[in-house]
Amino acid sequence: MTTQPMIAFREVHKYYGDYHALRGITAEIRPGEFFSLLGPSGCGKTTLLRTIAGFEDISSGAVLIDGRDMAGVPANKRPTNMVFQSYAIFPHLSVAQNVGFGLRRDTRSKGEKAKLVEEALEMVGLKGYGARAAHALSGGQRQRVALARALILKPKVLLLDEPLSALDRKIREQMQVELIKLQREVGITFVLVTHDQEEALVMSDRIAVMFEGEIAQLADPETLYRRPNSRRVADFIGVMNFLPATVTGERGDTITAEVAGLGALEVARSQVSLAPAGDQAAVGFRPETLTLLYEGQQAGDREAQGVIDEVVYYGDMTYYDVRLDGMERPVRISMRNVFGRPVLDVGTRTRVAWSPGALVLFR
Amino acid sequence: MAAKGESWTRSEAAQGYALIAPPAIYAVLLLAAPLATILAYSFFKDGYLTVIHEFTVQNYIATWSDPIFRVILVRSLFVAGLVTLATVALAFPIAYFLSFGLEPSKKARWILLITIPFWTSYLIRVFLWKVILGYNGVVNSALESLGIIGPNGLIADPLQMLNSVGAITLTLAHAYAPFAILPIFVSLEKIDRSLLEAGQDLGESRWRTFLRVTLPLAMPGVVAATLIVFIPTVGDYVTPELIGGGKIPMVANLIQAQMLPLDNRPLGSAIAVSSLLVVGALALLFLWLNRRFLKAGK
Amino acid sequence: MKFPPLKIYALAYLLFLYAPILLLPLFAFNDGTIIAFPLKGFTTGWFAKMAENDTLRHALSNSLIIALTSSAGATILAVFAARASTRYRFRAKGSIMGLIMLPMVLPDILMGMSLLLVMLEVLRVNLSIGTVILGHVIISLPYAIAVLQTAFATLDQSLEEAAVDLGETRIGTFRLIVLPLVMPGIISAFLISFTISLDEFIVAFFLAGNQPTLPTYIFSQLRFPSSIPVIMALGTCLVAASIVLLSVAEFFRRRGLKRTGAKDTGGFL
Repeated sequence: MTTQPMIAFREVHKYYGDYHALRGITAEIRPGEFFSLLGPSGCGKTTLLRTIAGFEDISSGAVLIDGRDMAGVPANKRPTNMVFQSYAIFPHLSVAQNVGFGLRRDTRSKGEKAKLVEEALEMVGLKGYGARAAHALSGGQRQRVALARALILKPKVLLLDEPLSALDRKIREQMQVELIKLQREVGITFVLVTHDQEEALVMSDRIAVMFEGEIAQLADPETLYRRPNSRRVADFIGVMNFLPATVTGERGDTITAEVAGLGALEVARSQVSLAPAGDQAAVGFRPETLTLLYEGQQAGDREAQGVIDEVVYYGDMTYYDVRLDGMERPVRISMRNVFGRPVLDVGTRTRVAWSPGALVLFR
Repeated sequence: MAAKGESWTRSEAAQGYALIAPPAIYAVLLLAAPLATILAYSFFKDGYLTVIHEFTVQNYIATWSDPIFRVILVRSLFVAGLVTLATVALAFPIAYFLSFGLEPSKKARWILLITIPFWTSYLIRVFLWKVILGYNGVVNSALESLGIIGPNGLIADPLQMLNSVGAITLTLAHAYAPFAILPIFVSLEKIDRSLLEAGQDLGESRWRTFLRVTLPLAMPGVVAATLIVFIPTVGDYVTPELIGGGKIPMVANLIQAQMLPLDNRPLGSAIAVSSLLVVGALALLFLWLNRRFLKAGK
Repeated sequence: MKFPPLKIYALAYLLFLYAPILLLPLFAFNDGTIIAFPLKGFTTGWFAKMAENDTLRHALSNSLIIALTSSAGATILAVFAARASTRYRFRAKGSIMGLIMLPMVLPDILMGMSLLLVMLEVLRVNLSIGTVILGHVIISLPYAIAVLQTAFATLDQSLEEAAVDLGETRIGTFRLIVLPLVMPGIISAFLISFTISLDEFIVAFFLAGNQPTLPTYIFSQLRFPSSIPVIMALGTCLVAASIVLLSVAEFFRRRGLKRTGAKDTGGFL
């Protein structure tokens, strides 16, 4: 199935003087998709978002929205609307005036416009707030006004620039869910910029991880998490244990790697990713792919022994740092806390099981 | 995060120039051009009632060989120096109080309180110092009613305070007070309060923290205050005229006399340019010394 | 009450600042021709005499015309300069702004004499209140800019981007978003320029020719002891007027801060 992408970046470069902010971005965002640009600050994700909105000109390449080249199209003529990091609520206008701001040039009657505004407010759960002064709203309410204001114009693409970063954790998590629901409801393509990997994983259909002006990996959340294509991506998303490895053999689709303490491991070729140039090869595990074995429990495929170095209790989870025999650094293991199973103490000798399918080889 | 882009910068610069053009052109026409005219005129010859447009350095020779000019210039600089010293020294504790001794909500009110007298009729304010310091003025009559002055008092006759450099200095120090307070206040406000806490946390006393942290960080404000008080004071016209009774002229009075009644505009221009050069040189010297001092302090 | 000695000093300092002004009404209402203690009786006669004075009325109307025109001019120019300096980056911005702000430190007499020279010798125009207006614009411009720069700087740039994003043109954005939000600053800048112009002496002294303005009239009268009580009455009115004007300016400045949601850092400068 080949549908036309909603947004297409073609070899987009952006220079600020000598600084190369975007280094040849080529990517496509599908219609109706919840797409995230994820990366540390300064990686160019906001710049890339602003090239869609038309706030940044690009130095070379092309940005297409719904098949149309946006070169020379000013921000006020683009079929996109944006939710700003600061929300940019006009402080001197009422909530309704804010939400209806984009309708000013519309030819519809006053009554129709007022109806649209009321509908938009209802959609974001602010029914009846229209007459309030904008500067008297709470952070979460501002965010909703900003959403309603952007969505009332029925843009082809909604751009969200770190929209949740200013909110408290509780409201942030609530808004994440609401945003996903809202996006499904309106069916508009959402492009979200965030530095919070958890937020990106929770909300997105697909994520582009960016470092230093380049897209390091573009994939759905599960692929990103299970099979990061480089050690850098693996490091940025979640926690991953890296164990130094030596590749000892390759046969067909299977690669054999030797890890001190674990012995020889067989890795499918599809589970091989890139390590930084010149670095030693490494095997990577997510903390939850390792399991502490309690007395009497049987190992799965494999098993190793070690001593608990550190215990961090999280309520629903416990993180154990375990120093496996023959290994220099401890590995991190996360265990779901089950009623009736005690949390182990530091210094306890324990057995650890892992399944070879869950590991990634970086070489 | 987002700095301005490259091609955007070009159009941004163009928009910036378009916006700045009206005030900039106005300033060039009514500030830069007139100042350049003074410079040009200082090299012209003065004919009687006319100006002969011929190059000459005669005006400068006349200016600098005139002992009266030198006396007046030195006096102006001396008075301005005293005024600056007094104003800045008196203003610093006030700025410190505004910045550190007040709750943020009260700051704006105090600043308004301090700036109000500054915006109100300069001439009358200066004149009122004459009333305060005069022969039968406020101070003398107060002392008289207390019995300090009078036939049976400590002093027989009322104090003669007017027409003195001291009176001029006091009046000017009063007039320029807010000019000194505000820049120091602004630089004190910029100091990160946690730096001071860190200083005390490291075992420094309050006083040592003040000397080693607050004062150096406030220096830019003190420097700005010094220049903002010193330069206009050298050129003050009203105070010597009213408080000095016209008997202790300063540079501005000399210039005014050449420009209006005597009508020797080239000479007046040469006096103005000469004074401005001296003041400018002193200001630069001050800045240079200050920079060296700050560097040595680090 | 963290610094009682400092607070006492501050109050003493305020007394020093206000001493001359506090004396004004004392002498304005004093029933005596000599400005000295002890005070005689209470009278409003000096105010009546002031109201009858034709030259004074002429000076007042001149001063009002000059102040209104020059502060309008200075405020408009200041909007351009403040917007350009806070929002745009371009080469030589520092030097251009430096030139425009120069009158803040330059002695007024230099401005007065240089403009006099240009008017009389280069342009050969007659001195009038028009020439004073030109001079007062250049003098109040830096103060107006200082006030407006705060107003423009506290304006979140994403507000403008949001308006453009919602389909507004640049001009529409300026009219609908920027202007209403900096309006308190504009009013405040206007009032401050007005106050400066109304009180300015030297430039008017040099450039007004034979036209009186309030300060040049006051200056000419200070030589005559018999006119002083009237001047005291006038001074009282002027002080009252400036306090009202400045309070209004401060009110608008604060309201502007509140609107944009910025924190009050205090002060005009």
